[in-house]
Parts: sequence; structure tokens; C-alpha cells
Amino acid sequence: MSKSNAKPDRFRELKLSLQVFFSNKSAVAGLIIFLFYFFDALILQFFPQILPFKHPYQLTPNYANPIPQPPSFKHPFGTTYPGVDLLNAIIKSIRLDFWLSLEIVIPGAIIGLVVGIIATYFGGWIDEVLMRVTDIVFSIPYLVLAIAIGYVLGRTLQSMMIALILVWWPLYARYARSVTLETKELTFIEAARAAGTSNLKIMFKHILPNSLPPVFVQISLDLGTIMLTISALAFIGFLPAANLPELGYLTSLGYNYIQTAPWAMIIPGLFIVLFALAVNLMGDGFRDVIDPRRRSEL
Amino acid sequence: MIIAARNLSKFFDVKGVKNAKIRAVEDVNIEIKEGEIVGLVGESGSGKSTLGRLLIRLIEPTSGEILYNIPDKELDEFDIALKNKDDNAIKKIVDKYSITKLHGNELKKFRRNVGIVFQDPYSSLNPRLKIEDIIAEPIIETGYLKGNEAKERVLELLDEVQLPREFSYRYPHELSGGQRQRVALARGIATNPKLVILDEPTSALDVSIQAEILELLKELREKYNISMLLITHNISVVSYMADRVFVMYAGKIMEKGSKNDIIKNPEHPYTQALISAVPQIKRIKARIILKGDPPNLINPPKGCRFHPRCPVALPTCGWTADEVKPTLDYLIDTKYFTEFTNANVEIKNELELIANNVDINKLKEIINIEKENYKPLLSIKDIVQENGRVALKLYQYETPELIELENGREVECLLFSPKNKAS
Repeated sequence: MSKSNAKPDRFRELKLSLQVFFSNKSAVAGLIIFLFYFFDALILQFFPQILPFKHPYQLTPNYANPIPQPPSFKHPFGTTYPGVDLLNAIIKSIRLDFWLSLEIVIPGAIIGLVVGIIATYFGGWIDEVLMRVTDIVFSIPYLVLAIAIGYVLGRTLQSMMIALILVWWPLYARYARSVTLETKELTFIEAARAAGTSNLKIMFKHILPNSLPPVFVQISLDLGTIMLTISALAFIGFLPAANLPELGYLTSLGYNYIQTAPWAMIIPGLFIVLFALAVNLMGDGFRDVIDPRRRSEL
Repeated sequence: MIIAARNLSKFFDVKGVKNAKIRAVEDVNIEIKEGEIVGLVGESGSGKSTLGRLLIRLIEPTSGEILYNIPDKELDEFDIALKNKDDNAIKKIVDKYSITKLHGNELKKFRRNVGIVFQDPYSSLNPRLKIEDIIAEPIIETGYLKGNEAKERVLELLDEVQLPREFSYRYPHELSGGQRQRVALARGIATNPKLVILDEPTSALDVSIQAEILELLKELREKYNISMLLITHNISVVSYMADRVFVMYAGKIMEKGSKNDIIKNPEHPYTQALISAVPQIKRIKARIILKGDPPNLINPPKGCRFHPRCPVALPTCGWTADEVKPTLDYLIDTKYFTEFTNANVEIKNELELIANNVDINKLKEIINIEKENYKPLLSIKDIVQENGRVALKLYQYETPELIELENGREVECLLFSPKNKAS
């Protein structure tokens, strides 16, 4: 029974997961928006030639008419200073923001989870040392660190990424710690130990899956936040080049025209918010999928 | 003996307090025969669960030896060697049977031979694993079986605990409490162990399901000759299941013996109190109601740990000046306050108190009257005048040892020591 059923069973599991996810309407909406961003980033990264852009990785200014223009047929979202078409610019910008967000949040979450779970599971001085290190890193202002690292390693996107990963994991370490503290006292951990399961396996087979739900929610929240952070860094001039398409930078371009041309700021800003919202809604859906209680309701 | 422990102790550290230890289990000797169900009873906090976990090395003992699968003859030899402090003989047997030093593969092999079932079937199953994976965990981790053989074994085990085979694909939260406990039981016996520790296996279940689980346990014992240590505070469960019973109080074994002896004819004052507390239909009996609380295990009572609550305590049961002082204070300051002025009592050492501004004859008189009401006063041996003050000297206390009565019955109480029996 077990052998012959192995494959269809996995298929059934997947089907059930999808069912759970799609029963959450707002999560589906989040997914759709997220997919727009995802495909935008994907196409620009790997197949930029199918889009009618001469310079897919650069903003194309028009110094002949630098003042922001209101939305029109020619420029559906209007233009921003210096004569940059907003629709084009946003499509180009999403690529950078999307990959940067993922590249910062996911390594940060993994480092944080590992540190938090190891510290809490072993306890004692390991816990003290790791969590004090976490506290120290937590106290570093990320903007200052990013600038410092940019100064040392050069003002590149890589150094921005390194700086943000360095300051992003402590939050996850604390999340993992709080959940692990609770989980490690449950008897199934003791049962695993009685069965001879190694510490490493207990940590990653028993504790990790039980700490994931809050972390998943945090990841989805952070994907939005990190975009704001990158924007902030871009705003203070951290970007390596002045014509790099980036949503935060794009927003800051329209900053001086907020009274006369509000769209120049509102529209790129809206795309930052929309992304944050979409990943949040999607995070809720994922939480349902990995929660077995929710699964069996269907 | 499938497992035997000698002088087994476990002291837990107290967080934030240096040198303070919770003496959860101290100097315990226990042995379980092949195919035997041993009941371990005692109130909450008496160290029953700690002892159970020590035996299968879920907790590392502070001191003492645990001997696994030791023939009776060699256990006797070991006991004699311990008595004579014959280090060579001790080492020889320890090397052969001890499990306290096992690690790596040896420990895994030992884990294959023991299992444990926990009290709460809700927290003892990982909510994120399927029943199949839960039951298979000990099978795979101890290297008992692998892959499809392990899966087959899981299905067999589900049959064994009378659950449908489809349950292997379910998650714990889809099961009822009784079903979960059956899964926990299947996990406990997954590797065909010789010894299973049952840590209050029925206390989280309702009564009808308790009976089913107990029946199932009995069946499994008959079928596979598994030894079981049944940890519980429920005397009726013990009387239904166990062959022999150990009574524990404050980290020490108070009495051990066959089930019938312990339940029908308890000898230790604590066991008597414990058994008398079991409700019975259509019988009105004199209950022994214990006063006070179980002792603080960081600083347990000297001598016999039960003496502060014991209704028949002797003068030498373990009273110290710390315990006598509050009684004297009460008598001097409250009950007989008209008789004294400015009187006070101070502790000189463990066995001596000094009373100031007290008339010795009056004090003697009062103590004589109140001896019957206040047990600690029994331990006052002498009251003498010393440099204008009154010194109260206590009896030197004795620590009781397990005294063997007839047919394997042992009691840890001074009442049964040869000296006291003669008088």
C-alpha cells in the first residue's frame, strides 16, 4: 500500500496545498500582483530584447523637456524629472527592487533562523554569546552601516546587499528564539531524544517547521520593508549610478514637484506599497498552507 | 533483571542560585524483571518522572549506576561488592552492564531496547509530522529498520494498537486523545523494546479511554513480554496493572513490594496515608490526613524525608534545631506567653538550641505537656542549665535504609529497624 501510493499521495498533497491557498481570496489577489512583479523582473533580467527598450537597465532622461508632464496617451503615468517616462521607468525599476529584496531577506532569514534555533536549543553560554552578538548587530543603524560598507567596498549594489543582510538577520534570530523557547519544552522533543534523534535533526526536523509560520509572515512583511529601505538608501544617494532604475530613487526624483506634479511621486510610491501589500497577502496564504490544522478543514 | 539502578541520584541546578541543587532523586535503588509491570507511585514532585527518564538516559544521572539486562546472580554480586566497596568487582560488572557511559552507536542500540510513552498525547506528537513519520522516528533513528521495511513496520504497529492503517497519512490533530495516545504507544513499542517507561499514560484521558489503553498495555505485555515501568499517581491504575509497586516520596523510595502487599497491607506510614486516600465505594474508613506540604527538595529534611509529616514519627527520625525552633517560639510567644518575659530561643547548632530568660522547670513542664501535640518536641533529649541559660539538646537523628521484610518487601523507615523493633 505504502509503496504504490507514494506518488499519487504526493500529488494529492500538492493539490490540497493549492486548494488551501486558493480558498483564501486575498492571498490569490496578492499572488497575482506578486506574479506581475515577478514576470516583470524575470523578463527584464533574462529577455530584455522582447521589450521595446533601447536601454533596459538605464533611465532614459529627456533634457529637452525635464519638467514632469501629467498622464497622457503618450505617457500613461506621466513623466518625472528629468523627462523620464514613468511607465517605462517603473517597468525597468521593478527588476532591481525585486531581486534585491529577495537577495537580502532570504539569506537574512536563513542566518537568523539558524542562529536563533541553535542558541535557544543548546541554551547556556552558547545562547548568551549568540544572542548578545545578535543584540549588538541589532543596535547598528543600517543606513550608517550601509554607507560605511559602501565606503570600504565601493558604492556598488553588492556592498548595499551585504550591509543590509548583516543588519537584517537579528530580527529573525529573535523570532526563532521566541518560538524555539516554547517548542523545545514540548514533549515531542523529548520523545525524539528518547528515539535517539541527533540534536541537528531535532533542530531542523522538529523545531524549524514549528517556527516557520511567524517567520514566513515576517519574510513577506520584510519584502515590502526592504524595498522602502533600498529606496531610502537610493534617496540619500547610495545608488552607484544616477540613471539606475530603482523605485525609491524614482520617487525621490519627483520629490521637488510634489505640489505641481503629485503623480511624479505618488505613482512610483504606489508601486512600492502595492508590492508590500501583495507579499503580505500572499504570506497569509502561505501560512494557511503550512498549517496542518487549516489543511484538514478542507 | 531487565534494568536495575543502584544509588541513582539526580540533582538539578537552580537557575541563578549558586550551589543550590534540587535533589529530585537521591540514592534510589530500583530493579525491574523481564516481562514485569512495576508501578511507581507518589505525589506530584516526588521525582517519579525524573526516575523514569533517568532509567532510559533521557536525563543524565548525577551519580549512581544503571545496569541493563543484568542476570540476577551478577546483580547480587554487585550489591555485595558495593557493600564491601570492592572496586575491582564493581568495575567488572559496571563495564559489562552499565548504560551510564554509553554513547554513539552503543547508545543507539540501547535506545532500540527501551521506549517511553508520555502523559500528554497532545504535546508529545509533533503537529507537523504525519503519524507515519512520528511512529517511524525511533525505528529509523535507532537503525532498527530502513525504508520500506520501516513503513511496513509502522502499519503493523498501527494494527497492534488497533488503529486503522489509513491513519498513517493523517496528522495528529485529526485524531482524538485516545487515538493519539495509541499512536504514542505505537511509537513507544516501535523498535520492539524490552522495557517501556509509561509516564502517566492515562492521566490525560477520560475514564472510558483509560480502560482501553490499560487493556491494550496488558495485551502487549502478554504478547511480547515487555517490561513496563508504570509511573502514576493513580493507585487504582497501579492495582489493576502492576505486579510490584514502588512508593516514592521527595526523591526517595519509601517502600517496595508486591502489589497485594503494598495495597492491602501498607507498612510505611506514608504508604498507609497514600492508600487510605483512595476513595472506595461502600466503605467508611479512617483516613490518614497528612498535614503540611511535601518538602522543599533544595534543602530536604534530614534523616527520613517524610518525618515532618509523619503521624508516627520517632525522636530520631531526623528532627533538627531548625524544625524545633518554630514550635518552641510558638509555645513561648503565643500559647504560654503569660509564663515568660523577654524569653527567646536561638539555634546553637544542628542539634542544640539555647533558650534565654527561661525558667528550666517551667519549660520542662510545658514540653512534657505539649509533646503529644507537637511532634518536633519529641526529639528533645535533654534540657540542662548552662551558664545561666537553658540548653535543649536533641537526639542524634538516623537516616533510615531500606530494610528487607518478608518476600522481597522493603521499607525505608526507622520503625522497622531491628533496634526499634526490639523495643
